[in-house]
Parts: sequence; structure tokens; C-alpha cells
Amino acid sequence: MAEKVEIPVQKWSGRVREVTLGATKEEGGTRTRSVTVGGEATLPFLHFEGELPHPPRIAIEIQDKKPEEWSPLLLKAWEEVIDDPAAWAKKAEERGADLILLRLSLDDAQGEENTPEKAKSTVRRVLAATGLPLLIFGPGQVDKDNELLVAVAEEAAGERVVLGVCEEKNYRTIVAAALAHGHLVDSRTPMDVNLAKQLIILIHDMGLPLDRILMDPSTGALGYGIEYGYSVMERLRLAALHGDTMTQQPILVTPGEEAWRAKEAKVEEGIPEAWGDWEERAIMWETMTATALIEAGADVMVMRHPESVRLVKEAIDKLWVKEG
Amino acid sequence: MSRFIATRAIRGANRIVQEAEDLLEKALAEHGPDTKVTFPNTAYYLPVILGLTGREVATLGDLKPALAQAGSLLHPVPRDQLWTPYLGEALDGGVATLLAEEAIMGIKYALGEQPERLDGYPDLVTAGGEGYCNGPIDDVQLRAWGIQLVDGRMPGFAAIVGAAKSNEVAVKIVRELQMRNILVFLCGNVNGRSIIHQLLEEGVELGYDTYIIPFGTDTISAIYPLGFATRSALTFGGMKGGQAREILLYNKFRVFAFVLALGEVDDLKYATAAGAISYGFPVIADTVIPEILPTGITQYEHVISMPFDDIEGQDDLERAERLVQKCIEVRGVKVKIAEIPIPVPYGSAFEGERVRKDDMRIEFGGKKARALEYLLMRDPDELEDGKIELVGPDFDEVEEGGAMDVGIVVEVGGRKMQKDFEPVLERQIHYFLNAAFGVQHIGQRDIAWIRISKMAADKGFRLKHFGEILYARFKGEPWNSIVDKAQVTLITDPEEMKKWLEAAREAYNERNVRVAGLTDDAVEEFYSCTLCQSFAPTHVCVISPERLGLCGAYNWLDCKAANQINPTGPNQPISKGECLDPEVGRWSGPEEFVYQHSNQSVEHVTMYSIMTDPMTACGCFECMVLVIPEANGVMIVSREDPSMTPAGLTFSTMAGIFGGGLQTPGAMGVGKYYLTSPKFISADGGFKRVVWMSSFLKETMPEEFKAVAEREGVPDLIDRIADERSVTTVEELLPWLEEHDHPALKMPPML
Ligand code: SF4
Repeated sequence: MAEKVEIPVQKWSGRVREVTLGATKEEGGTRTRSVTVGGEATLPFLHFEGELPHPPRIAIEIQDKKPEEWSPLLLKAWEEVIDDPAAWAKKAEERGADLILLRLSLDDAQGEENTPEKAKSTVRRVLAATGLPLLIFGPGQVDKDNELLVAVAEEAAGERVVLGVCEEKNYRTIVAAALAHGHLVDSRTPMDVNLAKQLIILIHDMGLPLDRILMDPSTGALGYGIEYGYSVMERLRLAALHGDTMTQQPILVTPGEEAWRAKEAKVEEGIPEAWGDWEERAIMWETMTATALIEAGADVMVMRHPESVRLVKEAIDKLWVKEG
Repeated sequence: MSRFIATRAIRGANRIVQEAEDLLEKALAEHGPDTKVTFPNTAYYLPVILGLTGREVATLGDLKPALAQAGSLLHPVPRDQLWTPYLGEALDGGVATLLAEEAIMGIKYALGEQPERLDGYPDLVTAGGEGYCNGPIDDVQLRAWGIQLVDGRMPGFAAIVGAAKSNEVAVKIVRELQMRNILVFLCGNVNGRSIIHQLLEEGVELGYDTYIIPFGTDTISAIYPLGFATRSALTFGGMKGGQAREILLYNKFRVFAFVLALGEVDDLKYATAAGAISYGFPVIADTVIPEILPTGITQYEHVISMPFDDIEGQDDLERAERLVQKCIEVRGVKVKIAEIPIPVPYGSAFEGERVRKDDMRIEFGGKKARALEYLLMRDPDELEDGKIELVGPDFDEVEEGGAMDVGIVVEVGGRKMQKDFEPVLERQIHYFLNAAFGVQHIGQRDIAWIRISKMAADKGFRLKHFGEILYARFKGEPWNSIVDKAQVTLITDPEEMKKWLEAAREAYNERNVRVAGLTDDAVEEFYSCTLCQSFAPTHVCVISPERLGLCGAYNWLDCKAANQINPTGPNQPISKGECLDPEVGRWSGPEEFVYQHSNQSVEHVTMYSIMTDPMTACGCFECMVLVIPEANGVMIVSREDPSMTPAGLTFSTMAGIFGGGLQTPGAMGVGKYYLTSPKFISADGGFKRVVWMSSFLKETMPEEFKAVAEREGVPDLIDRIADERSVTTVEELLPWLEEHDHPALKMPPML
């Protein structure tokens, strides 16, 4: 006869905020559905202990032009659609994305400077091609980010897109654009609990409601500082559950970008035979990075390879068992 | 509030509400209640009425209840005998005025009488059309500018009402504002002349592109800027129509706007100004009017009078410049300096650079000359922002490789500036000057030592450039949150130098006395520092006047200033709360704070004990204090000392064992100036417990330790403390201490 074992249950006083990405027609946008993340009242997957209303979600990252610097494996995986962000978004939806993250580039495919007009047209086309909620990140240069994001914020007014990325050095314009057009923002800080919290406070101080902010504490890939990122996420989540309100934001991380930067994923030549098949290894690298991060409390993961997305979704499904 | 202003504002309000009612009656009679009332290209109806009352006015008929509401806010004009405070009444009148003014404009739009046509000015092209004033700013432009106002690229807006003394002055005022990226809204007239006429006559281009918007030549068109402000709150503040209080507060705290009243102020202008004051926008007039100084409704003063001809200045242009300065100051608009105008590259990458003797053009201070730096706080009114002055000759006459005296005096002022911040700011001079390529800076106060390289001098670097650097940096982030105005004087004239040297030394003395008098008992708050949590997640430094942060970089005053500068940063005030144990230095405030901010892992903390709940250690402490039970005392190892200690551990081993945010009774990381504090492990017997100390400390702080020894009543105490030159093991330590009759041996047991 099986002994009944008493599982110790921790009582948490705090809970993560719910944040809704995207807006359907009824909600003032054009998405076929919106996606809500967060709401956790306990640590990841501990359904027996507290409420976990929403599973982690996956955003597939696409770019407004063929990302030449990406691994050839990724270019191959998206081969037919890589030159057309609208087709790419559609394909990503088919391959299981919950969300689409569109990254804007500095230059367009012809090597000419990206402009607010071009960015707007890209966004318009992507919105038309997919019904999923959108995240839009700038190219990562302060002036260009601001110029493009202000324009696309206007273009996507009402759609509750996530604008990113807000960093300590440059967040005011992006937040102002989000305020003006009803969007959300991604608040990114370099792997530090207090900095993460501080930027949330600063963004919130500008008047953006907390339920429109995702917390992006940064991470490293497997073998490249993931333990550091993991620990910061874990501490942020513990603080949130302990009732520290400024850490109670759903967490977004970018395992795709990080993992595909790692040597193990990137290169084919000059590595030991024992490392095995390149493609398999690269996909596993992204998959392992992402699955570790969902255990640390990630709510939105930005990923790149469709096969890793499939594997991670499978892992989430297996972990997302409420009974037994 | 001044009775005079209240009287006139209330009178103006009564009259304009009446005028609006008459106009509405007439329009209703002629056109019927269903006639549409809209401002062009906006989704916010009549925005002020929407914001302040929640009414969505779409027809003439809708205006009736809105005006009735305005009427209900009216009060009788105060009679001569009455001496109640009038502020409330006048402000109500102001709000009534705004509702009435907007109603009037709504009616005029319905009748096709707005925007205003200005005949005879073919150059006038605005969103309102060719030859027309602008009318309300449309929603698209509102968002575009709003984003810049919210993110800080645009500091704020100025609503100018009336006409300037001359066309020349009008242009100057507007250029001064433009230069600072401040939006300029124009309206009103004085005897029929408007600043809009003045600017057009001078060929100034008006419109969205130049950030200068002509709304109309009557006072009523001042409603458009206030509509803009209201819609900002609705768009960017997430407020809804009818949330009057929230909307007004939003504007008070977030929209940096002010009203500049040029020329005579009549009743309607007073009434409109009262409305603007409700938004927290101060009014600055260039004529004689009673001032309203107590700050409350606006962030700062409500009404300031600066009669134009009384403003100091050589000519009208300079007076205009000062007037704009004052406006900016009153509203607390922060303007940044984009680039530092010096002939050499500038950046923190050059901070560590050395200027060797052979490469040196000139030096100030050092062995052959004297360099003085002194920063002092002044009343902002006494300062001329941006003034950089050289008193005495520059260094051109000094031979290559020579030396000369220089005094650098920085005078700063600001609403948040405090005398206590003087030393904190003064210490920045070192970093600021060092960041210039070809400049080396060492030391502080009257023992500073500065070198300029030949290369920098060849490129034209001269003394005044020190001024340019200091001015730009103190007015840049983050220091501009406490420095509103700054001026720099560079002194090489021997007489002046002597004078300043005396003044500075007196100030240094005062500061020293002040710091000595700053005790833990004398203050209500300590400060936290959590900067080190990035690598030691449970570490919190509790910093009190008598115990600085353990890295030595932050004392209590630094934290206080840092908190003013960055209120959400790592230095937060910790209210002491209840004193739970004065002996070990345990207060309820720090205990709670540390518990909350250590991820709830450090439950107790004391300020003065190494044995009972000592502070955690992060890893960047200047010194390690460790109990040596055998000797009934403690040893102190400094970061600079690589040798073996009687504990059998080197500094770096100890940093590894005790750092990382751990709390270890018997071990403590400290800043070296805490060693000299009367509160240094006072609960455990104080400095007399020190049985071993790195010679580095003895040698670098001899005077300080001498004073400590005197205070402890054992004048030769330092000589009785062993160091690594005589003792490296605990076996050697005991006999050495006995030989030197160390007081710790006779003290009560530590454990
Ligand atoms: S050691 Fe210095 S920097 Fe670190 S927390 Fe303490 S005071 Fe702050």
C-alpha cells in the first residue's frame, strides 16, 4: 500500500501581475486572440502549491529583412520566407508561435537606411499576415530605436504591441510612445535584481501602468552565463512572491538570440567529433537554454528555430500538469 | 493670495462667463441647439470642458449645462472690508473662466469665426490655414510633441500672452526659448498689439515646424494651450474626462509649462492666469503686479513680477534674456548642455591618463605652485548661470613646463541644493577635469594638483575651459537634479587668490566641524546602499554619520545627495525607528529594511558590534576586522596588505570566506574611516580591542589614529598594536602583546 506523503506547501504573500499582449477586435485591435501571461502565485509548475493561471509562452523572432548574420541553420529553416517578414510571420504562426517578435533593422534589404515610413509599412504587413499579438524591437541603437519605434507605435495604435527595448539609458521615448498609443514595453536590464526593479519603477513613474510592462532581466545561453541569469530571475520571482510589488512583472527572456550566439550552436568547423551533428546540437542548445529558463520563471521566451520551439512547447505541455 | 489679484480675477471671471452666456443665447436663437460644435482634428471634444467636467460637448445645446457649471463656480467680487483668503474663490473663478473661454471658442468654430484671420500678414501659414492663426493643436501633433515632452527632449512649453516692449525684445524672448527647445505658444494683445504681430513683422516663421504657434491675438485664445495641456493628461496620463483633480495634478508635476504675461494685465488676463495656476503653471509678468510667492498650487511661486525696465542688464536684449532665465527657473525646467565646448576630446576613457613631466605644458599645484578648488552654494538669484570668468592672466606667459597658482571656484544654486552637498559636489571636480584628454588631476581642496599637456595647450586648451567643463558637467545628468544654476571663476590674480584661499579654508574648517558634529544620535535617518547586491544579493550597507559604507566610497552625506539626485536609486533613507538597544546600535528601522532588502534572509543587524548581528560583508570592503579569541581582541587587515595575518588567512582568502553578503559574528568588513569613529565596535570595547593592524593603515592615517588613541585614553596605543612587520602568527602575537602591555589583555572577555 502506498504511503500518503504530505507535500509541504509554502504560503506566498505576493503574486505576479497579469499582462495581456495584443488586442482583439472587441478590445480595440485586430488580433485574432490576445495572450495573457503572468498571474503566478507560486514558483513555476508547482500547481499543488498555488495558482498558475497561464503557461509560459513562446514568441518567434522574425526580422524585417534577411538577417545575414544569423546561423546558416536558421536561414535554412526559414528559407522560403526569410525575405518577407509578412510571410515569415505567417509561417511562424503555423510553426506554433504564441507571439511574434518583429525586430527592425538599421538598414533595409537594399542596404539603405531604414526609415519610419518603411518600418510602418513592415508593421502594417506583418499585422495583416498574422493574427498573433506582436512584439516590436528596434535595431538597438538609441536614435534609430526611438525614431522607428515612435512611428510604428502610431501605426499599430490599439494593438497592444510590446515595444522594446527600454534600457536605463534609453527608455523615456519608448515609454512615451507606448503611453500615446496604448502599447506595452519591455524593460531590459543587465542581470541584476536591483537594476531590474529600478527600471520598472522609472518606467512606472512616467505614468505607464504596471500591467503594461514586461520585465526583461537578460540572460546568458547554456554554458555562457545562464546560471547567472537564472539566479537573477529566480531571485526576482522570489521577491515577487514575497510581496515586493515592483518585481511582480511577467518575465521576458531571449534564449534564441543567446543560444545562437554560442559557439556550440554557431559553428560547424574545427570542433571535436564527439560534439556530434551540428544541426541537432544547435537546436538542443536553444532548447536546453529555454527549458532551463522556464524553470526559473520565464513567462515569454523569444526563440528562433522552429524545431526548438516544438521541443520546448512539448516540454511545457509535459510540465503543465495540474493534477496528480 | 493677493486681494488685488483675487478681486480682478473674480471680476474678470464673472464678466467672461456672462459674455459666453450671451453669445450662446444668441447662437442658439439663430442656429438652434443641434448645431455642431467641434474643434478640428481632435477626438477630445472641447478638451478643457471634457477634462474638468467630463462633459462631451458636441452641439450648441450641450454648452448650456457646461456654462451653468461655470456659473456655479463664480463668487462675488470681494468687498473692501472682507479679509478672508481669496485663493479658493479666485481659482474657482479661473476654472470658470477657462470653461467660458472654451465655450466661446466652440461657438465661434460653429459660426466659422475661428481660427482667427489676420489680415495683412501673407507670411502667416499655420495648421489653421493661410493667413489664419492656428486654432487648437490637432491630435497628431499633440502626440508627436507629447512624446517629446514626456521623454524630456522638450523641456516644456511657454504660453506668452500680450506684446513685448518692442519687436526686438519679442524676437529675443522667442529665440531664447527656442534655443532651449521649449515650445512657444502665442496669444493675447496689449491695446491691439500682439506678440504675433511683432514676430510676423520681424519675419519670424511661425508654425508647427518652428515650434512657435500663434493661437490668436485675443486673451481667449489662451484656452488652446490649456486644452493642449488637458489633452496631454488624457493621452499620456491615462486619465478620463471628468478627473479634474488628477488632470490638474498631472500637469503640475509633469508638464513644465509657464505663462509669460507681457505688458499690462487686465481683468480677463488675471482670470485666465488664475485658471493656469490651477494647472500648476506659474505666471511671470514683465509689469508691476502683486506677486504670489508661497508655493503650493504650482510647483513653485504662483505669480512673479519682473518689471521689464527694472531687470538688470545693459540693454533690452539682455533684459529679455534674463526674463526668460527667470521663467525657466521658476518652473524648474531643466535644460541640458549638449556638448562641452573644449578643443580636446572628452570622456571617462581619459580619466586614468597621466601627463608626464616631459609632455607637460604647465602645472598648477604640486611642489612649485598652489591649486585650490572650492565649490560653494549660493542663492540662485545671486548667480548668473553659465558665467565663466578668468580673474588674472592665463598661462600663456608662463614658460613651458612651468607652474602657476590657480583657484577654481564653482558657485552653484538650486532649489534642491543643500549646504551639506557642497563637499559631495566638490569632489566631482576631480572626475570632471580628469576626463579631458591632456588634463591630469590629483587631490582636492587646497592641495589639488593639475597638469595640462603640451598637446592640449597646442590645441588651444586654456584655463577658461576648466570652467566650460565644470559648468557643463554640473548642469548635466544626474547633477542637474540639484544644480539649477552654476558659474565658475578661475583665479590667477595673487590678491584674489589669497582672498579665496582664506574663504575656502574657513569653509573647509566649517565642513570638518560639521562632519565631526554629525553623529548617529543627531540624525533621524540613516541611508542604505544596495549597489553591491549585483554580486552579493543579500548585502545591504546601512550607512550612518558615524559609519560609512564598507567600500569607503559612500558616507552619509554622499548617500543623502545621491538620494536627492536619484530618488529610486540604491541609496534610500532608512528611518531609524525605535531604538531597540543603544549599546549594540540596534534600531527597528534598519532591522526591517535589511530584512526586506536582503531577500528576507538577514533578520537582524546592529551598527556597533562585531559579535552581535554584525553587518553583512559584500566583498569590496576596505578592511577586514576579525576577532582573535586568543588575544581577546580584533585584528584589522587592509585591502592593500598581501601578507599573512595572525588568523592564518590573507586578506583575499578572508574576502572569499566572509564576503558575498554573509553575516558572520566575529568578522566584519568595514570602510577604513569607520576605524576612527567613536562608534567603531563600541559595543565590544571599541578601538582598544585592536591588537593587530596592517602597517599600511598605520602609515597612511597616522594623524587620524593618533587622535583615536588620545580619545581612547591610551596615547601610545598605536605603538602597542602589532602589525605584519613584527607578528604573522597567533603564537607570536600573545607574547608581543604582553610585552607591549596591550590594554585588550585586561579587558573583559570578548566571547
Ligand atoms: S560596499 Fe559601498 S557600494 Fe557596496 S553596498 Fe556598501 S556602500 Fe554601497
